[in-house]
Amino acid sequence: MKRRIVVTGIGCVTPIGRTIQELQASLYAGRIGVGNLTLFDATCFPVRIAAEVRDWDLSQVGVDSRRWQHCPRQTSFAIGAGLQAAHQAGVLDARIDLERFGVYLGCGEPFEDFQTFAASIHSSSRESGGVESDSATQHALRVFDPDTERESEPDMPAMHLGEMLNAQGPILNCISACVSSTQAIGEAARMIRQNEVDVMLCGGAHSTIHPFGVTGFQRLSALSTRNDNPQAAVRPFDADRDGFVIGEGAATFIIEELEHARRRGADILGELTGYGSAQDAYRVTDSHPDGRGTTSALQRALASAHLNPEDIDYINAHGTGTILNDRVETLAIKHAFGEYAWKVPVSSTKSMLGHATTACGAIELAVCLLSLQSGIIPPTINHEKPDPQCDLDYVPRNAREVNCRHVLTNNIGFGGQNAALIVSRFDESSRAARRAA
Amino acid sequence: MTRLRLNDAVMHRRVLITGIGIVSAVGRTVAGLWESLTSLDDPESSDRNAAPRHNGLQQGVADFTGRIDDFCELPAVTRKAIQKSLKLMNRETQMGVAAGQQALQDSGLLLNHDPERIGVCFGAENFPVMAEDFQSGVQACSDGSGFDPNRWGQDGIPEVAPLWLLKCLPNMPACHLAILNDLRGPGNTITQRDVSANMAIAEACRIIKDGTADAMVVGATGTTLSSVDRRPSCLEDSVSNSRHEAVCRPFDLRRRESVPGEGAGVIVLEEMHSALRRGASIYGEILGAGAASWMTQDSIVSGRTALVKAMRQTLQRADVASDTLGHIHAHGLGTVMSDIAEAQAISQVLGDFAQTVPVVAAKSHLANAGAGSGMLELIASLLALRHGHLFPVLNYSEADPACPVRPVRNCHDAAGSCFLNLNLFGRGLASCVAAGTFRG
Repeated sequence: MKRRIVVTGIGCVTPIGRTIQELQASLYAGRIGVGNLTLFDATCFPVRIAAEVRDWDLSQVGVDSRRWQHCPRQTSFAIGAGLQAAHQAGVLDARIDLERFGVYLGCGEPFEDFQTFAASIHSSSRESGGVESDSATQHALRVFDPDTERESEPDMPAMHLGEMLNAQGPILNCISACVSSTQAIGEAARMIRQNEVDVMLCGGAHSTIHPFGVTGFQRLSALSTRNDNPQAAVRPFDADRDGFVIGEGAATFIIEELEHARRRGADILGELTGYGSAQDAYRVTDSHPDGRGTTSALQRALASAHLNPEDIDYINAHGTGTILNDRVETLAIKHAFGEYAWKVPVSSTKSMLGHATTACGAIELAVCLLSLQSGIIPPTINHEKPDPQCDLDYVPRNAREVNCRHVLTNNIGFGGQNAALIVSRFDESSRAARRAA
Repeated sequence: MTRLRLNDAVMHRRVLITGIGIVSAVGRTVAGLWESLTSLDDPESSDRNAAPRHNGLQQGVADFTGRIDDFCELPAVTRKAIQKSLKLMNRETQMGVAAGQQALQDSGLLLNHDPERIGVCFGAENFPVMAEDFQSGVQACSDGSGFDPNRWGQDGIPEVAPLWLLKCLPNMPACHLAILNDLRGPGNTITQRDVSANMAIAEACRIIKDGTADAMVVGATGTTLSSVDRRPSCLEDSVSNSRHEAVCRPFDLRRRESVPGEGAGVIVLEEMHSALRRGASIYGEILGAGAASWMTQDSIVSGRTALVKAMRQTLQRADVASDTLGHIHAHGLGTVMSDIAEAQAISQVLGDFAQTVPVVAAKSHLANAGAGSGMLELIASLLALRHGHLFPVLNYSEADPACPVRPVRNCHDAAGSCFLNLNLFGRGLASCVAAGTFRG
């Protein structure tokens, strides 16, 4: 019998909601989290907008925030979301086998302090060009804060959460660009399915709202430059789209084996039924023009869930709002879903949330779980002018009531990475479960 | 069925190792690695006054410069593609790709492959921002009074290479290998520092066992060499300072520190029937894997407890009796605390057998390549299985009573047919893989 995996806890910290309830209210009201960038002085930057998490502090989840002052923002978001999920699932109070409880996150790369880094380079530059490495190292050792540096590793959020939740199973972090947290959830589920663990805290957190992040994405020409109208900047699938807006945040989940959840009387919020991962094997910079990797990930997710395209009631698209992503993703949905592609509602919540890079997949899975529970799917905001190459139903402007049984979230990342997840309304004797058995 | 065993649906797909490739401190060929590991077998190794030996430690991989000629022999089309992509690869990526191409060539997997059925899973470090990538931008924003951050947006950003960000992504070794070799199966990169390699192997095995893929290219690449770009490792107090000659002495009473290094290792994992059908050369079989954590303020207790749990899980999942192990490849970092934690864990799991089972530690030869070490060490043990004998732990001559294990001192110890490969991260994370000779 295949081990079924259910979601029993959700937590999130996002630009439009610091709890899952706040996120739900904002999504259905079409609230946009994009505004002027305030986390550093971006006055002279070509891009001066971002979707920032505002008014967030770890004291909101009952943690002394002073202890975490050396941590990067993503760690704070991950801890906040992780504790929310753990509390909702009740795993802190439950008698569970801690050796079969692990953590798998997809947190990205924290960046060092930009001005200190630049000062180190400046102080060690040779007149003839190049950097004097020993001198730069010695300068860095003098000026960088050791506590901050130790915390600036992508695995630290997973380590901290493992310690706080007393998880004694595997603790790990993956980075596969913008599909990182999607893969963390999918691979955590595979660990449960193969009976290595019973419970996993999974998801992701990231913030690239930083001089390094803006520099990198701006040089890739990936960012919207609508500085004068931040609320209209992210326009997924719209003919006038010009790029994404950097966001930040976290979402995490407690997922566990069905019988394990039942035994401890946990509320079941949905069932994780499908997961597909695939590589484009084309270019590190852009997707294959036919969307072959995305198509494969979608098809693999459907196959692993034992579902047909017609079973999917809503797709939460990667929908970054870049010219290429939206076109290729649309094409891939058509390849994977056939004629049904034009019938299934597809929306991009990045239009409200911005692009939380490695964390986006987890946040979008939280959105999907809300739709399963509420029967409402969120809109694509700023989708006003149709693009002939993006001709699906993108749920423009307003949320819509849809009886969701199975919903899919899709993500695409630099390097040709693709991953998709399917969550289903929990049904004791669902068709997918019967087929899987 | 016992509780920890995989369910029936995935039990019958066995995972074999059909290709290996390396870039290491002692060379960039597998043959060179073995020759080096076994070249220092002499009686002097037990003389505590003998000069410490190291095979190029602290110099990184001297003969890997990142030029195309440093990669293995390649088909013209692959060579051209790598050459074109080199500017998008940082050093860790270049080493990972070089080792990956060797492993794929060694395996013969690509002679007739279904791209959809082959994936890639890597373990990697967090790739730092490199000073060289920002130097001209910083200069453009500097004058006699120093760097002016207010000019960065206008004068600095245009000086940064357009694709710089992609060079910094830890998933790039896996992505480049997928692109170069048309591998369209699942792809992931685990960034869990020193325990990444075994975790990548475990994840790849799950993917093969549940039928998602038939083969996985599994690698790990990393560095702990100090520079402005490697601050966290510089800040660790048990890492050697480059101002004196460092010696890696795993489990020796006089050990003091780990020695920075770099390197990459890649193996090809393949479902048994797929490998047998095409007559692949088989290095061994992955029998099981485990990972555990235990975090307290006491690093010895944390490391020991996590490792004990990971080893026990692995032995149980592999269905291997501990007294049948031919050897153990220790993490063997060479620091006081880590080696005590590890030795005590081995002793706790194996009991009296810990006094008998040979322990090797390739870090004494190769230094600490961070995430890359775990894979290099597994490959060293696979070579030992193939050659039938082990290699010495360098610079080990004086036993530490706090480390109740038996480090190998020469090349005479048999490798046995089954071993454990241990990865340990000081804060209380451990991962373990059991591998052995394939017996059809």
